[in-house]
Amino acid sequence: MDSLTVTFAALTDPTRRSILARLAAGPATVGDLAGPFRMSQQAVSKHLAYLLRARLIEKHRRGRSHFCRLRAAPIRQVSDWAAPYRIQWEQKFDRLDAFLKELQKDKKP
Amino acid sequence: MSAKKEAARTLDHELTLVRVFDAPRKIVFEAWTNPKHLAEWWGPAGFTTTMNAWEAKKGGHIHIAMNAPNGEVYPMGGTFIEVKPPGKIEFTASALNPKGEAIFENLTTVLLEETGGKTTLTLRTKVLSMRPEAAQYLAGQKEGWSQSLVRLEALVTAKAK
Repeated sequence: MDSLTVTFAALTDPTRRSILARLAAGPATVGDLAGPFRMSQQAVSKHLAYLLRARLIEKHRRGRSHFCRLRAAPIRQVSDWAAPYRIQWEQKFDRLDAFLKELQKDKKP
Repeated sequence: MSAKKEAARTLDHELTLVRVFDAPRKIVFEAWTNPKHLAEWWGPAGFTTTMNAWEAKKGGHIHIAMNAPNGEVYPMGGTFIEVKPPGKIEFTASALNPKGEAIFENLTTVLLEETGGKTTLTLRTKVLSMRPEAAQYLAGQKEGWSQSLVRLEALVTAKAK
């Protein structure tokens, strides 16, 4: 998967978007982030791990606390003019891929 | 300096995508040039395509429409610039508004190369012209979250200053 696909996948979840919106206001600890969500710290950590993998956030250690901070670059990439085109073509290519497999299955019984 | 660079990049309006398909080039070429085949994969998942014209030859007409599951129709018109078996397809295409006017026009070039029975597809698309409503149209193609993204980006940009 290219980085844009990873970014979009990370952003399809409303909790993750809320986390990012919160981090846009400044760095926060995992505890701070879990506060408003009525979910376990563990569940929030899972979302954070996803955001880390998508490189939408960074984690820093300060003393005993882990702080999360937003990385703006991938979001800029997503809001670039080309993103909708890219997504449209990726979706078409996914279907083309499936169609080509189907075609070849018919030919090779 | 970086603002200048940014402007140049925006004016370019060019996008390149590369994808490898596990099929010989002949089959991939056929999937692009045979309208019956194209209808099987054109458009996002869940969409159907109406093929009024997909005349894959130099100067051939393109007039197709993507039908969204919610009933919305996205018509597209264009012309083939070059169709050269086994590895090149080039066409202009415009998304049309309800009045049939072009919202923006793209030049799309598809190159196919075969290695070991697999086909590498390189797609380049370039915006030739754009009407003011194009941005809105494109945003409408994304899921509902595109708006929260724009807000988020505004927040991030404001923070970075």
